[in-house]
Amino acid sequence: MNKWKSVMLPLAAAAILVSGCSGGNNNPASPAATAAPGGEASPATSEAKQAHTFTALLDNNATFPYSKDWPVWGWIKDQTGVTLEVQTPSGKLAEALNLAVASNALPDLMYMPNRKESNKFGQQGALVDLMEYMDKLPNLTAWMKQYPDEAKAALSADGKMYMFPNQGFGETNRMIWMYRQDVFEKEGIQAPKTYDELHTALKTLKAKYPDSYPLSLRYGQIPDEMNTNMTVNYGTGEGAYYDFDAKEWRYGPTEDSYKEMVGMWKQFYDEGLIPPDFLSLQTKQWQDMVSTGKSFVTVDYISRVDFFNNAMRKENPEFNMQFLAPPAGLEGGKQLNPYFHYMEGGLTVASTSKNIEDIMNYMDFFYSEDGRTLSSWGVEGETYVKEGDTIKFKPEFTDVIEMRKATGLQTSGTYTWIDFNAHLSLFSDDLKHAYEEAVKYDPANMQPRPAFTEKENEVISITGQAIKKHRDESFAKFVTGSRKLADWDKYVEEINNLGVDKLLATYKEAYDRVQNIQLSSN
Amino acid sequence: MAQTSVVQDNLRKEMKDPYRRQGRLLRTWNHNKTLWLLFLPCLLYYLIFRYAPMFGLVITFKDYNLFKGIWASDWVGLKYYRMFFENPDFWPLMKNTLLLGLYKLVFGFPAPVILAILLNEVRKAAFKKFVQTVSYLPHFISNVIVASMVIMFLSPTGGLINNLLGTFGIGPVNFMNEPGMFRGIYVLSEIWQHIGWETIIYLAALTAIDPQLYEAADMDGASRMRKIWHVTLPGISPAIVITLILNIGKVLEIGFEKVFLMQNPAIYDTADIISTYVYRVGMEQGNFSYGASIDLFMGIISLIFIYSANYISRRVSETSLW
Repeated sequence: MNKWKSVMLPLAAAAILVSGCSGGNNNPASPAATAAPGGEASPATSEAKQAHTFTALLDNNATFPYSKDWPVWGWIKDQTGVTLEVQTPSGKLAEALNLAVASNALPDLMYMPNRKESNKFGQQGALVDLMEYMDKLPNLTAWMKQYPDEAKAALSADGKMYMFPNQGFGETNRMIWMYRQDVFEKEGIQAPKTYDELHTALKTLKAKYPDSYPLSLRYGQIPDEMNTNMTVNYGTGEGAYYDFDAKEWRYGPTEDSYKEMVGMWKQFYDEGLIPPDFLSLQTKQWQDMVSTGKSFVTVDYISRVDFFNNAMRKENPEFNMQFLAPPAGLEGGKQLNPYFHYMEGGLTVASTSKNIEDIMNYMDFFYSEDGRTLSSWGVEGETYVKEGDTIKFKPEFTDVIEMRKATGLQTSGTYTWIDFNAHLSLFSDDLKHAYEEAVKYDPANMQPRPAFTEKENEVISITGQAIKKHRDESFAKFVTGSRKLADWDKYVEEINNLGVDKLLATYKEAYDRVQNIQLSSN
Repeated sequence: MAQTSVVQDNLRKEMKDPYRRQGRLLRTWNHNKTLWLLFLPCLLYYLIFRYAPMFGLVITFKDYNLFKGIWASDWVGLKYYRMFFENPDFWPLMKNTLLLGLYKLVFGFPAPVILAILLNEVRKAAFKKFVQTVSYLPHFISNVIVASMVIMFLSPTGGLINNLLGTFGIGPVNFMNEPGMFRGIYVLSEIWQHIGWETIIYLAALTAIDPQLYEAADMDGASRMRKIWHVTLPGISPAIVITLILNIGKVLEIGFEKVFLMQNPAIYDTADIISTYVYRVGMEQGNFSYGASIDLFMGIISLIFIYSANYISRRVSETSLW
């Protein structure tokens, strides 16, 4: 799924939405989560104020293209003494990285789009194992105690850490259910809490608006994300998933709850409640349906709340897209959204660098409370003001994108750990509300994402891919009716024969290995 | 007089001698120095950019480590080939790739020939130019755009084609959900995209036909169809055969981008081809060796195709690539 995220979405030009990062368990709405793990270790940063220049290959986002003149670089220099000599990829980041590694001309710091990449390059010997430098990283060491899940997710299969872990930014990766509250109110329909209620609501809407497809989603554009959403609603998984209660790895798409989910979507399809071409629907088509009142319920990235409201309220002041609590699929099931608020990308250090120790000093700053405040809010007086204990952006900043464009804050290479309240404070009330509500439906745990060895990766890519293809194909066929649901047992057998056991064993082995790694020497 | 001629003869001999002693190669070099120099950049280009990289194929037998470089990477023998052949999807993928390629060849290849001949018969120059220009245009549209145009036009929810069919009381047809329709849709969109561009070579060949042949045919009272059959077609047949051979070599080379963007799980039965498979697997792993192995395998098959086509053509007609 994360691979899809890293490749498919940029294709769909939704890069901004995905460029989020990894989230911990902290509640973005509560400023209480701003504990300071690095408080006592801050002297380390003041010692490192010697001037240094490092080369860096950073990602470049079309919405806020890299600028040398961004004030953020100056602020970072004031705090750390470091100037980055930045190169941005001329084409795709992944290609630029391959080229840099293959030509052995590695910049000191490199931004990698995901852990798979950094683990691969790390195991090939191109990257520094941060675990070896923990004595130079007092703030990070303290930080890892506060965010052990995040730290573990950053480990490679051999227990090394090739990428600086991050936290806070992933919040933008949240996906939620949304609905046209105005239409629901007008028709006197209650917000559904279960799929059965959702089904009834959609049927009522279809009866009132025969031209509409009340539920619409761009399944074909982000299939893995959608599968995750749908399966989490039904208390199962879109592939191999870890069941925290039973403490075991299970394969979702052969479970009975998954079958119920497929049955529900088949009903939606048969009754015209979703567009017949939902598998191939383009993002533009989906947007048009939602904005022109052809669809009233959808699932997508959380920022779409504002996206639709801002665009539509000008001509239709009634238009009101709001957060909808995820419906529960099974009777007595929990209402849950998937755990998407983490970020896969991050900074890595080249093993060929001559400044490794200085870089460690520099990067450690970003795990200090000062570093976090700088990355999130900028500089007091220049970008933010303090009112008591709360930090507020100065009034000239009203929009996150504009803020990032103007200051360079929270652009590639300028953060690892951020206070998501910084973003939140610039959001519209609707979006703020959505964030406040969304955290109530978070799963208790993040699905583990253990790193695999090369051998395991081969199983995941060859066997896993064959299984996944059969799953996707079968889902499509069951829902559209080209295969009868009565064939379910046969489907389970087919997919098991492709090697589900082997896949689960691989996940289990990788997971157990990561669980057994001790995070730090102390 | 006689003496001078002897001197001249000797002189001539001396001048020629060095050539004789130096052997043929140097002689041709000295003769065609300028031509060789003109050829040099081209030669270098092929050596450096076309032949040297071929040695990189050695990574298909190695576990390629980007950081250590090709030579330091470990040998793994035929591991990646085995991985590909033993994959349960191998045969369906192969079948889909071949069939899609064949459909494209069978329907896509004659289309520009027919269009070129039709254009050739058009008497109004202005109309001809207009049609030519319009038919070239789609060639310059990016595949990403074409794929989403196709999907949107064929959409059962307000797509152009279904609206049209609707006025005749047909449909709506869920085109992109029918495995049986994918190949047709793909090939048609390919024809639409490239037909104009591919006529260029035939139109060029058409201008080379001697007008006297048409005049002679006129004198014999040949009809239009007869002239096309007996003059036009034979006139451009070498061009047709050459392009056909080249296209046969390209049967397996189907543009990845467009198929990938047009496919969805409901039509994997027909729409999943080797390159889209490689993409999906590659995303999981970023394995250069595996990708290169599959590419080399496909390259060998293409070579067999093009060689056989050329062989047959040489036997049957006089036209061939080599």
